[in-house]
Amino acid sequence: MSTKLNEERAREQLIDLAAEFYDQFAGGEIPHMTLPTRTKSNIEYDPDSGVWVYGDRTSTRSANSVRGARKLLKAVYTIEFLADQLDQGRSSTLRELYYLSESWDNEEAHFSDQDESNQMIEDLEIVSEVTREDFHMRPEESGATLMGPLKLREQTRRGEREIHCQKDVGEGGYQIPNNPDTIEFLDADIDFVLCVETGGMRDRLIENGFDEQYNCLVVHLKGQPARATRRITKRLHDELDLPVVVFCDGDPWSYRIYGSVAYGSIKSAHLSEHLATPEARYVGIQPSDIVEYDLPTDPLADSDINALESELTDPRFQTDYWEEQIELQLDIGKKAEQQSLAANGLDFVTETYLPERLDQMGVL
Amino acid sequence: MTSFQAELGADEGIAEELAKGQREISIAEFFEKNKHMLGFDSGARGLVTAVKEAVDNALDATEEAGIKPDIYVEITEVGDYYRVVVEDNGPGITKDQVPKIFGKLLYGSRFHAREQNRGQQGIGISAAVLYSQLTSGKPAKITSRTQESNQAEYFELIIDTDTNEPEIRDSEATTWDRTHGTRIELEMEANMRARQQLHQYIKNTAVVNPHARIELREPGLEEPLKFERGTDQLPAETSEIRPHPHGVELGTLIKMVAATESYSVSGFLQEEFTRVGKKTADKVLNSFRDRHFGRELAWPTPATGIDIADAVTKAVSNKGAEATETFAEQIESTLIGRDRTAYSELEELVDEIADDVEADTGRTFGATVRENAVAAAWGELTAFDDDEATNGEEPGRDHLTPGLYGLVDDATSSRKDDETVQALAERLARRADGLGDDGARRFRVTHDDLSALVEAAADATVEYDDVTLGETAREKITDTLWTAARTVPDEVPKITEIEGDRDTASELLEAMRATDILAPPTDCLSPITADLVEAGLRKEYDADFFAAATRDAEVHGGDPFIVEAGIAYGGELQSEGKIDLLRFANRVPLVYQQGACSSTDVVKQIGWRNYGLDQPGGSGLPNGPAVLMIHVASTNVPFTSESKDAIANIPEIEDEIELAIREAARELKSYLNKRRSLEKRQQKQSVLSQILPEMADKVAEVTGQERPNIDAAMGRIMNNLCIDREVDDDTVTLHVENYSDRAETPEITEIVSVEPTDVEGDGANVVDLDGEWFIQWSPSLSAGEETKLTYTVGDDAEFDITVEGVETEKLTLNA
Repeated sequence: MSTKLNEERAREQLIDLAAEFYDQFAGGEIPHMTLPTRTKSNIEYDPDSGVWVYGDRTSTRSANSVRGARKLLKAVYTIEFLADQLDQGRSSTLRELYYLSESWDNEEAHFSDQDESNQMIEDLEIVSEVTREDFHMRPEESGATLMGPLKLREQTRRGEREIHCQKDVGEGGYQIPNNPDTIEFLDADIDFVLCVETGGMRDRLIENGFDEQYNCLVVHLKGQPARATRRITKRLHDELDLPVVVFCDGDPWSYRIYGSVAYGSIKSAHLSEHLATPEARYVGIQPSDIVEYDLPTDPLADSDINALESELTDPRFQTDYWEEQIELQLDIGKKAEQQSLAANGLDFVTETYLPERLDQMGVL
Repeated sequence: MTSFQAELGADEGIAEELAKGQREISIAEFFEKNKHMLGFDSGARGLVTAVKEAVDNALDATEEAGIKPDIYVEITEVGDYYRVVVEDNGPGITKDQVPKIFGKLLYGSRFHAREQNRGQQGIGISAAVLYSQLTSGKPAKITSRTQESNQAEYFELIIDTDTNEPEIRDSEATTWDRTHGTRIELEMEANMRARQQLHQYIKNTAVVNPHARIELREPGLEEPLKFERGTDQLPAETSEIRPHPHGVELGTLIKMVAATESYSVSGFLQEEFTRVGKKTADKVLNSFRDRHFGRELAWPTPATGIDIADAVTKAVSNKGAEATETFAEQIESTLIGRDRTAYSELEELVDEIADDVEADTGRTFGATVRENAVAAAWGELTAFDDDEATNGEEPGRDHLTPGLYGLVDDATSSRKDDETVQALAERLARRADGLGDDGARRFRVTHDDLSALVEAAADATVEYDDVTLGETAREKITDTLWTAARTVPDEVPKITEIEGDRDTASELLEAMRATDILAPPTDCLSPITADLVEAGLRKEYDADFFAAATRDAEVHGGDPFIVEAGIAYGGELQSEGKIDLLRFANRVPLVYQQGACSSTDVVKQIGWRNYGLDQPGGSGLPNGPAVLMIHVASTNVPFTSESKDAIANIPEIEDEIELAIREAARELKSYLNKRRSLEKRQQKQSVLSQILPEMADKVAEVTGQERPNIDAAMGRIMNNLCIDREVDDDTVTLHVENYSDRAETPEITEIVSVEPTDVEGDGANVVDLDGEWFIQWSPSLSAGEETKLTYTVGDDAEFDITVEGVETEKLTLNA
């Protein structure tokens, strides 16, 4: 896939969208655009790809109301901006777009907050079927890292770089670029990919030499993973045929992190095929681990309980495994962090917990 | 006083001493000391009150004569005093009446009439005369010319405060430029500090009297203030009504009884009161009988332990076996067939049977025989001997207890057990038996006595049988017994008897009040009517919206009344601060004491936010650019005081005021809602008409095309009616598209400078007007529908389109 071609296609798609508005005006129709409804109730499992994608329900942004008209006006301005950016081979961040709108000559087209501009980019991604990376839009910071026996080549703006993700990097690891499609995997001596939610746990694994000991690639998710992190995980799985496991805290929010790695997120379900790794499996912390290892816990807050109950109705979590775990957690009313494993000693996680769990799962 | 009391014991002649100082006070004298009661408490207010009294009189006089009022008010400064002149074009006053009307307090034509009038007591104008003479020492100057007379009469008069009689200082025939009317001139100590109230009074008078022309001149005005007529329609003439039975008091009734020429109460009621015919009079009479005579308790015929036929047979002698038997058996069977029988009913029934038997057998049943038979049958029916059964003897016969048991049982529902009911019935029976001590044992009892009897029996039962009998249970028992008792057939007392007997009169009054009687007729009232309320407001206020409501007549204390309300909103009305509240009673503006008026209370407790007006705290007078007027018309408007400034708190009137206001306010609400929705639409349109062209420009720029035409899209968005013109050679086509969600019927007029031909389209119509042709269409388009209107003209034709019947906010015109 040539980047140049992608850009061309992206630009074309955007202009087409504008042309559609034009035709609507000219035909005496109210300008509008139709998008899939981006809610939990409108995502469904696609058995072909094994990921969750948007269902049939749609919402319409229409110039029928003042709000809708403002949205469409902003859309047209954004289209113009993106088309120009692609033309000039530049890129910008989502936050820059928000500030940049202030410079547009029309006050009505200014974004009122960054959520609005982010949402606009998502809307355009969906309607034009072009990813925002191809629009040359990137998030402010991703910062997620890799550490493990992987050699890769990255196409940077300053030329190609070949990097070994264990030998050529410091303790911080290799930083995943915004568009991981610029990376080519060269050589790997990896048995599995371990995605870790928190920085503390990632540092513990590295300090204890877990990546070396088990030939594992540690991916730091940094909380809810950025698209680039999910994309590279997907590619590692698909291209190098590696098993992927996810290691998080034992609370409802962490299950969602796992969910977005494995099944795709609700907000970017249009890209699930591109980003989700349905084969990724959950290591822990499981509610059953809390019982089994007698981990130090916190009681569930009301918001935790609501989140768990909401997950029970989330189509992505409607499997026997998750229903059992979530109901158990609601039952014991407790949650535990990854770091709580330290109650059994600093090495407990690398010497006992992970080997035991990975063995159970058949990864080791 | 205290000093006199200290000497009480010492001087026996004190009463005589005091008597020297005691004398009659004339009414004029009284009011001289109590000016405030009539609204003359200060110079400022006195002036307003004097004008008000004179203008009220003028309006009443002209309306009564069917003349459109033309009233002139002038106030001038005369040295230290002010001179008030009020002129009208009324029918004038006859020469001998003038002094009494203006120079005698409490002289008037309206006090005794039940009819809606501005004045009521005949105090007002003479009080003004009195005030003027007291403060300036000058007589009142009256000029009056009646319609027939060819010259006017001029008087100068004062009131003799000792005797309350007019004293004519000067009188002469004079000429006057008015053909008929009355002019009064008063000089008084006053000031113009109440100028605002004076103007308010005159202006408000003009609002509620749109048929009147009023002119005001006063020193502070450069130009006279003129209020022109808003309608030629005079208020409906009112007719006087007789009092309503629910509206009289005992004193009035006694006076009426004394004055009536009727002989019977029934005649008196029908003659002297409104809404009383024969039927209603009978109802009142029965109710009166119940109160005067009491009712007779009625008894059932027991199934056992009784032999009426035998008793009657024994009581009748010398009538022959056959006739006696028939007579006795008929009485028995009739009684058995009846539910309950009272003494008077038995008398009547025995009479009938006796007459029948007489006719059949030829035997004569005289009065004595009949009396004996009644006594015998009654003795059986009401046998009462409460002796306990003693050894070997039958218990005494008691027919009263079973008779009462059924009623008590009915009244006490299932909650009381059988023993209690029985015990109570026995005690009632014993006490009822005591009623029979009047000799005939007719069991007559008034409601009060019956109630006392039940109380006593209940108290005893509570005390001895240890049960509870609450207030409600007792009342229910009394009511059940009262209902089962019979109204007696006795003749009611004649009018002459009632006249001298206060208690009987009071019984009659109670009976009148207790009887349901139709509300009084309302032709004695003259409401302004909703249309004219609105016209009056329209005339005096430059507002955007007007609404008015007139309620149906209701009654308070026997006096019918009608409440009307009107609202003006928006326009030039002041939008800061509270709304203006205008209060009127019988078409007279109430200018003072707004806070004490019950109409103000009602306005304050209405939730005005509900009707789209701002009301801080959710109660109190609302804020906003609105005028609210309330008019109460009645034969007797209840005021809080003689100065007639505030309407008293009468629940019936308050309810009606509230309903009238709410009726008008509902219209205001829907107007405001509509206005808000149009405002919103306008806002939307103005925002969109900015955004969409910009969007279209941008879209054109991005796609590198010409700017698209967005009118159709705009019209569709605004749910508008769009009209576009298309000219193709000689053919002009108007495309009418209805994008709204409801049917529209625009009236489209096209003015063309050349004669058009081939005009087509719904309801097309061409009119030639001096070389201009008016083409009119009135198409009807349902939601989403479109139509074409076409015609042909030569070149160089000019056209000019106008569209009516569609709000401008909803119209997109490209023609």
